[in-house]
Amino acid sequence: MQNANESRPHWLQVLTIGRRPKTTLIRIAVLVVTCFVTFKFVLLPIRIDGISMLPTYHTGQINCINRLAYLRHEPQRGDIVSVRLSEPGGLANPSILYMKRIIGLPGETVAFHGGRAFINGEPLDEPYVKFSCDWEHAPIVCGPDQYYVVGDNRSMPFDFHTQGRAERNRIVGKLLL
Amino acid sequence: MLLAAAAALGFWCWTILFPSPEKLVLKKISSLASTATIVASDGNITRATKVSNLIGYFAVDAEIHFDVTGYPAHTLSGRDEIREAAAGAFTSLTTLNVQFLDVTVRLAADKLTADVSCAAKVNAGDSKDFGVQEMHFQLKKVEGDWLITKVETVKTLS
Repeated sequence: MQNANESRPHWLQVLTIGRRPKTTLIRIAVLVVTCFVTFKFVLLPIRIDGISMLPTYHTGQINCINRLAYLRHEPQRGDIVSVRLSEPGGLANPSILYMKRIIGLPGETVAFHGGRAFINGEPLDEPYVKFSCDWEHAPIVCGPDQYYVVGDNRSMPFDFHTQGRAERNRIVGKLLL
Repeated sequence: MLLAAAAALGFWCWTILFPSPEKLVLKKISSLASTATIVASDGNITRATKVSNLIGYFAVDAEIHFDVTGYPAHTLSGRDEIREAAAGAFTSLTTLNVQFLDVTVRLAADKLTADVSCAAKVNAGDSKDFGVQEMHFQLKKVEGDWLITKVETVKTLS
């Protein structure tokens, strides 16, 4: 007759690898593969740094970039996207990306008058711009493959705010949250 | 087993004693960032020493071409102009933090010249914000040492 205590696994084993180690190993393997695929090909975790997207996003926030956001459709106006500094193949594994909002689409003309953005001569409604802005800039025409990207914080002088036309292949993905 | 461990140790020692040109270039760029960084507690002598150390990274005929957002494009030619600009910056700024990220080194076939691409992250003074700029360096091997011959900024957004 077998003792009941002998067949029961030790509590430390239960705590570390569960009652059925095989199942636990399979679960771990599935989890690792899922995480690898998700974070390698789908979501890119980022930590926001800098003031250019204030007040929408501020330094220290954690977010993810959805790399598959533009598989079925092209980027839209108002999307917050991450833009790589170099062309694909330039910097090996970019650890630093610009995070900007798309306001101008390919072929459109973007200008700033009295702090407001104008697209093809029409004022753009931008409820996300909360800080006062006095930007004045002549029209800039986006090429057939270019998007005009700019931050939400336009309180600094125009020339000190990193913005401009980005080629489609530099847009890595859309901000998830 | 012991033989394999000895071989691995030997290989590791070899890489430490005789690093590859790519590693030397990477080290040079990383060390350049440290030299170009100043903190508020750095006194005048430290800053002057850093300027003279900084010049040591550049070849005599080195050129730096800056074209960054918010500033007019300009070129510094030769060590004297670079020294003057560095001294001016190190005197006027309280702090300067320079980091070179995502450094990619491409060696020429003769292994005597190298192209380096990286993203420079610069925080100057008491500013809460920082600048990010893609940069391109050209280096050449002069008497066993890698010296910078050309630096240029690359415009990301047009």
